[in-house]
Amino acid sequence: MLNPEFLSSLVGFLLTVMVFSYLFGDTPLFRFAVHIFVGVTAGYVAVVMLYQVLWPYLILPLAQAPMLERSLLVVPLVLGTLLLMRISSRLAWLGGPAVGYLVGAGAAVAILGAVQGTLVPQLLAASEPFDLIALAERGINPLEALFNGAVMLIGTISTLAYFHFGARRQRDGSIRRNPVVEIASWMGKLFLALAFGALFAGVYLAALTALVERVQAMLSLFGW
Amino acid sequence: MKSWLVPTAFAIAIGALILIGSILPIPLLRSISMQLLQWGMILAGIAVLVGIGNLFAVHFSRVRRRQAGALDSLTLLVALLATLFIGVLGGPSHPWMQVAVEAIIVPVEASLMALLAVTLLYAAMRLLRRRADWMSILFLAIVVLWLLSSVSLPFLGEIPILSDWVRPWLLFSPVAGGLRGLLLGVALGALVTGLRVLFALDRPYGEKT
Repeated sequence: MLNPEFLSSLVGFLLTVMVFSYLFGDTPLFRFAVHIFVGVTAGYVAVVMLYQVLWPYLILPLAQAPMLERSLLVVPLVLGTLLLMRISSRLAWLGGPAVGYLVGAGAAVAILGAVQGTLVPQLLAASEPFDLIALAERGINPLEALFNGAVMLIGTISTLAYFHFGARRQRDGSIRRNPVVEIASWMGKLFLALAFGALFAGVYLAALTALVERVQAMLSLFGW
Repeated sequence: MKSWLVPTAFAIAIGALILIGSILPIPLLRSISMQLLQWGMILAGIAVLVGIGNLFAVHFSRVRRRQAGALDSLTLLVALLATLFIGVLGGPSHPWMQVAVEAIIVPVEASLMALLAVTLLYAAMRLLRRRADWMSILFLAIVVLWLLSSVSLPFLGEIPILSDWVRPWLLFSPVAGGLRGLLLGVALGALVTGLRVLFALDRPYGEKT
């Protein structure tokens, strides 16, 4: 009988070869591998949702929790049932309140995440190199930190200026951006090229690591 | 009655309650906010199932009508149903589910990522042919510099000036500045979009308005 580990490696090897066939174009083998992948992943996600979200937070409490908690769960139960109606094109309108709930909760979480998770921490981090007392306490050369902080701050402001598309109509009828914003936007392009270059290189290195891992996994199947 | 009225009322009420409960230090409002978030999590789980149900319906109809790609759709349906069957009976930690992850999901994900190494290289080469301006040249110069400073080269090893000085300076000054600008831009965009939804200026509920 086949060893399950070997069988798993063999299936992985075959699927890897099928995916790599994409280098010759959109081949049937590539499509086969991708459709298996999507099917298995969708099934896996459904099972995880059932066992790790719906079972512990809805189904189990509905069966075992005290009366008050059980009655509170009627709300997600009703909304969830209405949401399921969206599968049918005739009854889809019934799912509106549940979608509204999800959109409202999502918007609130997005606002909180943007303010508490990004805006405040990033603004504090941007001001850090200009805190001379903290720099002295940590034994960092203040001139070097100030220079690096200034470059970073110019980069941040000019990158934001690059995405500012407000413009005014001039006396001659042409529409132009403010000259200061125009210069800042040009500098922003420079910083964006640097940032995207570093991101691209990072992604490329990760992809190369994955390629090496796949080739090693394929060779190890034959004992190399 | 307009079809977007009820969903909009729900979105505004739920969003406002969650926001107020998370900002104001009032225990009652905080517990209401947490309860609403937990219900939202349950609804999100059901929404994922609705999405998977829709995926099933689309591919099932392609197989039934014998449209182009019906065989691919059939493959997807068989894989989906087999995984669901084993998973529902045995749970996500069932040995066969682990085999599905280790033999199918991980290898295909890693292979698709590995394909990116080739496609990104091709895209970088095409960029120079299609748009050889100063921004493209600067972008590719940084890519090459970053790669040279990140790996140990054959016969040469690491290039100290690149790995110890140039890359750390780039990373903590101009690259950090550009990335911070992007992050702040994305956060401001998310903030404005969230507020537009809560003020009912945007109504992304799927209905035709």
